[in-house]
Amino acid sequence: MMKIMSGNEAVALAVKFSRVGVVGIYPITPQTTIIEELAEMRARGEIDTDIVRVESEHSAMGVTLGAAVAGTRAFTATSSQGLLYMHEMIWWTAGSRAPVVMVVATRAVGAPWNIWNENTDFMSERDSGWIMSFASSPQEALDLTLQAFRISEDPRVFVPMMVGMDGFILSHTKTNVYVPSQEDVDQFIPPRRQPYVIDPETQESMGNIFQPVHYMKLRQSINDAIQGSIDVIKEVGREYEKVNPLSDYKTLNVQYKLEDADYAIVTMGAWSLDAMEAIDKLREKGVKVGLYRIRYIRPWAEQEIRRSLEDKRAILVFDRATSLGRAGPLYLEMKATLQSPMKGVIAGLGGVSMSKKDFYEVISNFIEEVKFGNPNKVEWYYPGEVKYVELGTPRSAY
Amino acid sequence: MSLGLQDLRTNSLLPGTSACPGCPENMAMRMVGMALGKNVAMIVVAGCSSVIQGIGPKNAYGYPVLNIAFAAGPAAASGMWRAYKQRNKDVTVVVWAGDGGTADIGFASLSGAAERNEDFIYLCVDNEAYMNSGGQRSGSTPHGAITTTTPEGKRGNKKELLFLMLDHNVPFVATASVGYPQDLIDKLKRAKDVNGFRYIQILTPDPYGWLFDPSKTAEVAKLAVQTCYWPLIEVVEGKVKVSNESLHCLKKETRRPLKDFLSVQGRYRRISEKDYEELEKYVDSLWDRIKSMS
Repeated sequence: MMKIMSGNEAVALAVKFSRVGVVGIYPITPQTTIIEELAEMRARGEIDTDIVRVESEHSAMGVTLGAAVAGTRAFTATSSQGLLYMHEMIWWTAGSRAPVVMVVATRAVGAPWNIWNENTDFMSERDSGWIMSFASSPQEALDLTLQAFRISEDPRVFVPMMVGMDGFILSHTKTNVYVPSQEDVDQFIPPRRQPYVIDPETQESMGNIFQPVHYMKLRQSINDAIQGSIDVIKEVGREYEKVNPLSDYKTLNVQYKLEDADYAIVTMGAWSLDAMEAIDKLREKGVKVGLYRIRYIRPWAEQEIRRSLEDKRAILVFDRATSLGRAGPLYLEMKATLQSPMKGVIAGLGGVSMSKKDFYEVISNFIEEVKFGNPNKVEWYYPGEVKYVELGTPRSAY
Repeated sequence: MSLGLQDLRTNSLLPGTSACPGCPENMAMRMVGMALGKNVAMIVVAGCSSVIQGIGPKNAYGYPVLNIAFAAGPAAASGMWRAYKQRNKDVTVVVWAGDGGTADIGFASLSGAAERNEDFIYLCVDNEAYMNSGGQRSGSTPHGAITTTTPEGKRGNKKELLFLMLDHNVPFVATASVGYPQDLIDKLKRAKDVNGFRYIQILTPDPYGWLFDPSKTAEVAKLAVQTCYWPLIEVVEGKVKVSNESLHCLKKETRRPLKDFLSVQGRYRRISEKDYEELEKYVDSLWDRIKSMS
């Protein structure tokens, strides 16, 4: 069944379909409508999920972890400052190997205040020990949330999983979404599985002090589980076709007109569609350019990326996030994977709009640079029509 | 009810803990075992008790334990009891936290859980400083006490968790002292049968932070009650009950001099007469408030 819905509504629906036991909720824009929708579902009697309206994001992850280790399926969602506020518990959950799912509707991080989209909040959790996927449409947000429960609860994995989506652009924009049936989801997601349950019967205890070498081995086990989850993710993706016959999750990342391309554009998230339109235009002019969309940041599909991109003449990476003082995080990951000439573009921060025209312009310039010089550099791109104030450096005050 | 020798044989504390000699938290943990039995899941937030259980994967507590970050205890407990409810399991969830985890870094999540009337027992083991990290001052450190971050003696009174928790109107609030095991065990047993949020603050005098001989823990814990520095009360559904051991505190004339409690500890060695008066005023106001509630 097709239904028109926003990314947040799609996520709430996925949580309902997954028969989640406990949800810890705290509002933050632009994630709020996920938890509002869940509260409405509960009020209408459509779900018996226990919704805990906590006093902070730190507690939202605390509730989620507590419920998970006590044996129920658990979920939460957040954004921006909220994600940073729960940062400690995100690590605690990963270190506990507790299968839980979280959706992050991405947003810039203050100061100054900015509620608009940017992926830096999401990208700043790369080292925490979660599987991290990123959606490019409300459909993918729903699909990935459903798959996240299956992946994180797989005994070969047993690590938590986050699903990111661009705040407002996906969270609040409505499009057509294929809605699976509850029966199909029930077939797809088995009853909760987890490495241990803390209760008087099991007498399990966790989180105690570990000897250094045991601690290090645990860290390695999480690392191995995430790297090893690539096969599980592909397997789950193939099986997901029974839930959504229109879906294609055979690979971790996604290609578009890439096979015969000389130049590859690398993106993540919703603006990939704008980039694709720009690529269509360039293709009409005979420019051989294609797109590679990153859907999984962790695990990083190194082999898959190499196979798809190593024969390309040059690569252009778009980052909607920064690692200040260095470059875009996606650019750095790609740099560490491929030897190819590579340019990084940081754009669209804090809600700065990137149209297909902007992508067209940046990609065209890049191809010229490759022909006539060295493209290896990082640039911050401001759309031509945006009038921005020139800021002086602090030194100019003296 | 009285305590028999057979009651001391509890599995709540197994041999091989790495507690310091004279540790009051070990005493309290044993009393929890006597009172609550085996059907308990414990959440231990950062503090001495995360260390006392020893090196994992083994554990010197006879309970399933979830060790967790400082500020997340009450939130994790909220998730846990709800999960047990969904799985139709009757388990008493207990949070075990020190005064730092309770009065300072964990207060938002404690207050949130109390406001939601979550169904678990919260135990604050109050040794009036951050003893696990070397005895720094906490919000619960009393006026005049020397700590490693207030070598001149703390200025300003203890944050009154008792009254803060009473203001949350939760079904069960009590204070106890490891010097009076029977009183604590009785309170824990009563708390077990109450539904909703239950808070018990247990005085756990620390030989190393308070600077007294490790053999005197129980004695110091008793002196705190006898001198009325530490009240033993219980507030169930808003009704105050003062324990027998504290009844003499209701009248100023029958209180034992506060000096008897302060003089046995090194942490008060530098207090002036003015500080002493300040502490006496603190005790007076404490009991004025308790009297005004009854």
